[in-house]
Amino acid sequence: MQISTHELKSKIIESLKLQDITPEQIDDDAPLFGTGLGLDSIDALELVVLLEKDYGIVIKDIEEGRPAFRSVRTLADFIAAKRPQ
Amino acid sequence: MNKISIAAASIVTEADLASARLGQRFGRLDLQSQLALLAVASLKINFDEFARDRIGICLTASAGSLSTDVNFWNGRNGVGGPSPTLFAYTLPSAAIGEIAIHFRLTGPDLCFVGDDKNLLAEAADFIRRGDADGCVCVYCEAVTVGCAEIISSPQSATACAIFLNRADGLREWREFDRDMKALCALISQTKSAG
Repeated sequence: MQISTHELKSKIIESLKLQDITPEQIDDDAPLFGTGLGLDSIDALELVVLLEKDYGIVIKDIEEGRPAFRSVRTLADFIAAKRPQ
Repeated sequence: MNKISIAAASIVTEADLASARLGQRFGRLDLQSQLALLAVASLKINFDEFARDRIGICLTASAGSLSTDVNFWNGRNGVGGPSPTLFAYTLPSAAIGEIAIHFRLTGPDLCFVGDDKNLLAEAADFIRRGDADGCVCVYCEAVTVGCAEIISSPQSATACAIFLNRADGLREWREFDRDMKALCALISQTKSAG
C-alpha cells in the first residue's frame, strides 16, 4: 500500500528532530543527503530505525537500501513495496 | 600585551533551549551539546573577526556524557535498538565538535570531566603558549534525573561560557578566577546593573 509523501516527511521531521522545517518545504524529489535536505550518515541510521519501527521493514543489505534513500518519493515507493501486508 | 581578558560571558539553562534558533539540526543534539552550543551563541562573539584556526575550545562536562549514556542504555530494548543519533553523543567531548562545526572553529581543544576549577587556566595557557589567540570556555552541567540518581548529584541543566582573549574585555582574567559558574554569574549581574 502506497503511503503519502506528506506523512513520510512528517515522520522524517519528527524522527530526525528537524527544526524550523515543515513537510511542505521538503521537495518530494530532492536528495535527502548532501544537498537537498542535507542529511548525514547518522540520519541514515536513524531512518533505518524509523523503517523498522514504523513500517516493519528491516534493511539487512545496505546496497538494497541505498537507492531507496535518494529522496522522499523513492523512500515512499520502497516502503510501499517492502511493507509487510 | 600580556594580560588575558574576559571578552564575554553567558549563562543558559534548559528553559532557554525552547527559544533557541541555532539551525535545523539543533533538535537532534543531546542536552549537553544543546546547552553548550547555546551558551557559546549567547556570547555573541563575531568569530569573523578572528582567524578561526586560532580560536580554541575548552569544555568541562560536570557529569561527562552520563545523562546521554543513560538515555542510550534505556533505548536498548525498543524496536530497532537505541537511537544511533544518541550514540554519537555518548562521548563527553561531543559538544566540542558541535561548537566547532557550528562556529567553524578549528583551533586546539580540550575536554575535562568534573569540576570547572582548571578550565579557565588551561584556556589561558593556550593563549599564553601561543597556541591560540582566543579561547571559548564552556562549563556544562547536564544532569538529568537518571544521571542524578547514579551520581547522587542534584539534577541540573545549565551551561556557562566565557571567551578569553588578549584584547580589552569586560574584565581582566586572573589566576584566582577559577570558579567559572560564579564568575559568569558575577559578570551577568554587573552587566545587568550597568
